[in-house]
Amino acid sequence: MIGELVACGDATSSEICFQGDDPAILLRDYLQELLVLFDRDARMVTSLEVQCFDDSQLKVVIQTNAVDMNRSIFHHEVKAVTYHELDIKPIDDGWEATIILDI
Amino acid sequence: MKQSFTGPLERIDATRWRIPKSYKPGMRVDGIIYADDALIAAIRQDKSPEQVANVATLPGIVKYSLAMPDIHWGYGFCIGGVCATDPAQGGVISPGGVGYDINCGVRLINTNISINDAQPRMEKLVEQLFRTVPCGVGRGGMIKFSTKELRQLMTEGSRYVVNQGYGWDSDIEVTEANGCIADARPDYVSTTALQRGMKQCGTLGSGNHFMEVQYVERIDDPKAASAMGLVEGNVTVMIHSGSRGLGYQVCDDHLKELRDVPRKYGIDLPDKQLVCAPIESPEGSKYLGAMGAAANYAWCNRQIMTYLARQVFSEIFEQPAERLGMHLIYDVAHNIAKMEKYDVDGKMKPLCVHRKGATRAFPPNHPELPDRYKFIGQPVLVPGDMGRASYVLVGQPGSMEHTFGSSCHGAGRRMSRGAAIRASKGRSIRQELLDCGVIARARGRTGLEEEQPDAYKDVMQVVDVLHKAAISRKVAKLKPVGVIKG
Repeated sequence: MIGELVACGDATSSEICFQGDDPAILLRDYLQELLVLFDRDARMVTSLEVQCFDDSQLKVVIQTNAVDMNRSIFHHEVKAVTYHELDIKPIDDGWEATIILDI
Repeated sequence: MKQSFTGPLERIDATRWRIPKSYKPGMRVDGIIYADDALIAAIRQDKSPEQVANVATLPGIVKYSLAMPDIHWGYGFCIGGVCATDPAQGGVISPGGVGYDINCGVRLINTNISINDAQPRMEKLVEQLFRTVPCGVGRGGMIKFSTKELRQLMTEGSRYVVNQGYGWDSDIEVTEANGCIADARPDYVSTTALQRGMKQCGTLGSGNHFMEVQYVERIDDPKAASAMGLVEGNVTVMIHSGSRGLGYQVCDDHLKELRDVPRKYGIDLPDKQLVCAPIESPEGSKYLGAMGAAANYAWCNRQIMTYLARQVFSEIFEQPAERLGMHLIYDVAHNIAKMEKYDVDGKMKPLCVHRKGATRAFPPNHPELPDRYKFIGQPVLVPGDMGRASYVLVGQPGSMEHTFGSSCHGAGRRMSRGAAIRASKGRSIRQELLDCGVIARARGRTGLEEEQPDAYKDVMQVVDVLHKAAISRKVAKLKPVGVIKG
């Protein structure tokens, strides 16, 4: 979901972990998981801590809250995080990812 | 990202252009794009013809890789893309040839209400539809299905919800495939997909999904119109929606499962998004089965919204929906893969036809048509934009010969969502639509701006190409007067 989301209720914490051999795909899988959290559970990430992100693993501890559906403003429903032109590359001061969302 | 196509486009005739298979290594067949001179110039502006060429590399592809005149860039396959693969020749099934929104499709409901009689109540009608039909983000349906019920619904298709009271028996035979893919495998649908689908059956969604009140502005084919019950000046209702979160999840799950499968079968792909498996492999069968289940969910989705539309009309016009003549004219899928039989070198062969943003268009006398349409051909429903018009066509024999029984599905975007939003700065699209006689209601902040008429090609140009090519024939033009969107 792309929009101005307002959180409500109690936060819950969980760890999500993906394994593979392509960091771009790991990132895509992580974003897809956030999409499912919103669509299935109406929850949003309010804070996160990346514990590991390398060529073979992405491990993130996320804190989520319920989305206040009445006070949030929704711009675009995201259907899917696609594989199209999926890429992560190092740049001068960090990393740059290209991810295309189907809206 | 959106660079123009600089490869060869050889004119075949007034409505077809060829990308020769010599264009790109790996192409097994030519690409053929249906378009006239005006449309082809615009089509060259994005990379969608490149996608037609890429699809031509798929194993087991038969005759050609096709694109309809509403072609535009998609993921893997272009939107408007059609191809058929032969299972007996190692033909593949590709989720990219169906799309994330499995069985996104359109249905058209008739009424016997004249537009003159409806107009005084139009604002109230649109408001009530907007209140009653769940649309937009986070709007759950009126029914929450259990896992067991979802599995049943995905097995039986729209017959399941009709039997629950959400439709008429007569709705079934005028739904493509009688609203049910027989080989659906709900057991191949993940728990996550089920969880997403539980509350969403009977909801419109957002983006370019809509429910539109229209009237028949013009009849081009009186005989075919009469068979469908279409009367000039009468109101119709069109619904455009698909398989919602359940379908998107099924697609995503199987794209993930198929990631390394092409390598397993020695398939070289020019684009990762064409990921695929031989139809007769365990992986291919699994996707086909899950896709069928999601398709059946989508038919139930549109069926429940039909029930809701009938309820609202009945309230507003103070008569039962039966008395208002609210019969379903037809329901078509435009994102699907189906096993169908075609003549290949003089032999009828079962092929897997992928339609991604393309509509089935069977001609007269096809055995799959209901009796009432056997002599006219299958209705083809082509929504345009919310300012101009939509069209009803019928399939012609040319479709079986040239396009694997397929026609176009819509107008095709000519402006990205971002460009459409920028172009709408300082304007009220809602007021502009009202000035054209269209009452529009949308939940999302930018729904109307993204979907404004200027963002789309003129659907008349698109249908004219296929009418000229004898693929599908024009029956009626429908003018919008009210629309609700998510």
